Amino acid sequence: MRGATKKGIAVEEYNKLKHMFDKGALSRRDFMAGVAMIGAGMAVAPTLLSGTAQAATPKVGGNFIIGMEGGSATDSLDPRTYSDSVMIGASLAVYNCMVEFDSNGNPTGELLESWEAKPGAKEWIFNVRKGVKFSNGKTLDADDIIYSIGIHTGETKSPAKGILKQITEIKKINANQIQMTLEGGNADFPVILGDYHLVVVPNGFTDWQKPIGTGGYTLEKFEPGVGLKFKRRGDYWKAGRANFETVEIRNIQDVAARTAALQSGQVHAVNRLDPRTVNLLMKDKKINVVRTKGTGNRFCFVSRVTDAPFDNKDLRTALKYGIDRQKIIDQVYSGFATPGNDHTLDAGNPFYNTELPQRKYDPDKAAFHFKKAGLGNAKIELQASEGAWGSAVDCAQLYQESLKKAGINLDVKKVSADGYWDNVWLKVPFCAVYWGRRLSADQTFSQVYSSASDWNDSNWKRPEFDKLITEARAELDQKKRKEMYWKAQEMISDDGGMICFAITDYLDGYAKNVMGNEPHARYDLNDERLAEKAWFA
Amino acid sequence: MLKTIVIRVALGLLTLWAVSILIFGATEILPGDVASAVLGQGATPETLAVFRHELGLDRPSYVRYLEWFFNALHGDLGVAMTNKRVIVETIAPRLANTLFLAGYAALIAVPTSVVLGIVAAINEGKFIDRFVNIISLMTISVPEFFIAYVLILYLAVQFEVFPSLSTVFPEMDFAEKIYTAALPAFTLTMLVMAHMLRMTRTSVLSIMSQPYIEMAFLKGLTRSQVIVRHALPNAAAPIISVIALNLAYLIVGVVVIEVVFVYPGIGQFMVDGVAKRDLPVVQACGLIFAGAFVGLNTVADVLAIMVNPRLRHPR
Repeated sequence: MRGATKKGIAVEEYNKLKHMFDKGALSRRDFMAGVAMIGAGMAVAPTLLSGTAQAATPKVGGNFIIGMEGGSATDSLDPRTYSDSVMIGASLAVYNCMVEFDSNGNPTGELLESWEAKPGAKEWIFNVRKGVKFSNGKTLDADDIIYSIGIHTGETKSPAKGILKQITEIKKINANQIQMTLEGGNADFPVILGDYHLVVVPNGFTDWQKPIGTGGYTLEKFEPGVGLKFKRRGDYWKAGRANFETVEIRNIQDVAARTAALQSGQVHAVNRLDPRTVNLLMKDKKINVVRTKGTGNRFCFVSRVTDAPFDNKDLRTALKYGIDRQKIIDQVYSGFATPGNDHTLDAGNPFYNTELPQRKYDPDKAAFHFKKAGLGNAKIELQASEGAWGSAVDCAQLYQESLKKAGINLDVKKVSADGYWDNVWLKVPFCAVYWGRRLSADQTFSQVYSSASDWNDSNWKRPEFDKLITEARAELDQKKRKEMYWKAQEMISDDGGMICFAITDYLDGYAKNVMGNEPHARYDLNDERLAEKAWFA
Repeated sequence: MLKTIVIRVALGLLTLWAVSILIFGATEILPGDVASAVLGQGATPETLAVFRHELGLDRPSYVRYLEWFFNALHGDLGVAMTNKRVIVETIAPRLANTLFLAGYAALIAVPTSVVLGIVAAINEGKFIDRFVNIISLMTISVPEFFIAYVLILYLAVQFEVFPSLSTVFPEMDFAEKIYTAALPAFTLTMLVMAHMLRMTRTSVLSIMSQPYIEMAFLKGLTRSQVIVRHALPNAAAPIISVIALNLAYLIVGVVVIEVVFVYPGIGQFMVDGVAKRDLPVVQACGLIFAGAFVGLNTVADVLAIMVNPRLRHPR
């Protein structure tokens, strides 16, 4: 009797999980984990799951329309200008990157097929993929790769300039091999070469209005701020990819307009659904919602640890315990975000410290540390603005409320959105900041927390931390490196000036017949490669 | 009368010139600078300096104003800072789209509201007058995006009569464009009708108390004859200027509608320009908007002079 009841509950629980998986609220991994927890469902899971899982072989054909936010009338197909989703997605339809990432976030070969590091990770040999042709018929070789890296160095405004500075020498060994020498060892160097700005064009190419790449499509039409249209090349070197006859990307800035366009079938996929209404959208039988958990923007309140009163570690600890992360996530992001652990590395990164306890709201501990800090009744001023991110002020107000319960007075000052990054960020002692995902753990730590970085916004400078990440950078033994990065996360979380309280989820919407849309460890829309990865059932 | 018209047009041009200085000055004092806005949060000081130099931002502003002004006189609005496209070429199709949508909405809205306004005036205080008034007040009282979303919800998502994405492309034929842009045109119609309708009604009614109207009644004319023949020509001036004002609004004030319906007009183009601090784009859009505003108002004044019986037959 008891067994039967238990099984009944298990089935019910299983159906709930399955429902969530179908609606995309759960990733496949979460679903399997959930099923494993129920136990009873385990045996039936694979068969039941196959109904919703992707059909094995992609089909060719159709006109695929993606409605996207993240474009502007100022867009261009010059990779040195990319900054948002529309151009990244468009770029990956026409061009290929040097390195791609699998769904767990590990680097795999793209136009650089494979690589090898000499001990010390200072010298790298890269093998250029053979037999790949550009859309103008030219065959890819080492010179194209060297040119495509070169355009981001020297006199340029490319955002990738900074990450390529570490290269001291690029040498062509033969038509299909390149040697790169770095100023210091960097075990994650291939990950750095996976940056989306680093797409490959033919040697000497300059006409960005008529892009030539090795991607699965060629550009048919481009109206900046309105949309792009692509045509299938047909001879794409990746088997089973780039399956649509034509692909269109439409700029749709307004989330309600995007949602309506998806519902009325005018587009087949959209990015950045509204978390407040996505639960209603999940009920629509014509639509799949796919959620990529906790790899989006990292929302933080950042204090400068060199400015009083934030030079007091107890105050910083009090401020970390005094924020009700879950409440902000529930109220502002309708639950579609993951709590941050006061550093900006996300769980999608292979080096994420899974054993560092998640800091939770604890008004008693906050009050204790605040008292210990000995600041009396001092008011803490936090500057926030819509210019930091859309809901920064809402988050700050909820923070104020939760700190009040710990007896800490927070003064939220709303400042102008215009010029926020020029006038407020890196200048005032305590303000709202968001950070995007960085390519590697090393990049995260060295850009946001190292003493040498211009963007170390908490001004938290610790020689022992700098030493740790410098050593970890050159460490080719993954296990040792992992230990070091775990330690680094612990140091930041304990001592740093950053209250990183939430990392957003990506929410994509798809028409039911769109396949190949699984969540990825990096970006939304299957790592922004929807044009080449998806197909119509 | 000719002299009055010439003076009016000259004043219009003078205003436009003054506006050009204002536009240039205003873009100069926008907080933040184009280099850091384009390159974003992650730019290093040296890339910023390279970019500023590339854009000529290190030269004095009066030099840049004069250069810009004389180029603009020759129809050259420069090159966008961000994507290096020729502004006149990118702006022309967008301006055409904006004018198409404005014309579309105006063709529905202007005749309807003037006729309804006259009908309301003829039937002052009766049911039809009240009904028209209430409906038009309702549409003007809700925010524009609300009307837009309601139309999308019912006409695009639930019944799929019209598309919710109103993106028109140059290669579409005329009928296709009319169909695609239907929802934004309806929304705009609702937004501008109330103003024109009520102005027509009020100015017709205010003329009705004049002695010459009484004279016309005493001659034995019917109420509708009096209104159409005698009241309307004298009431035309304020109606024309309200129409001009609304036409100008249709051209320059529809950014929200453009965003909601994904209509590729000039408003969103300017907003993108402002967000990225692309000064030449912002200045070009500002100049075009100012031109539309000043131009339409000048035309309205000239028309008002021409239809006014007293100015037409000066004594």
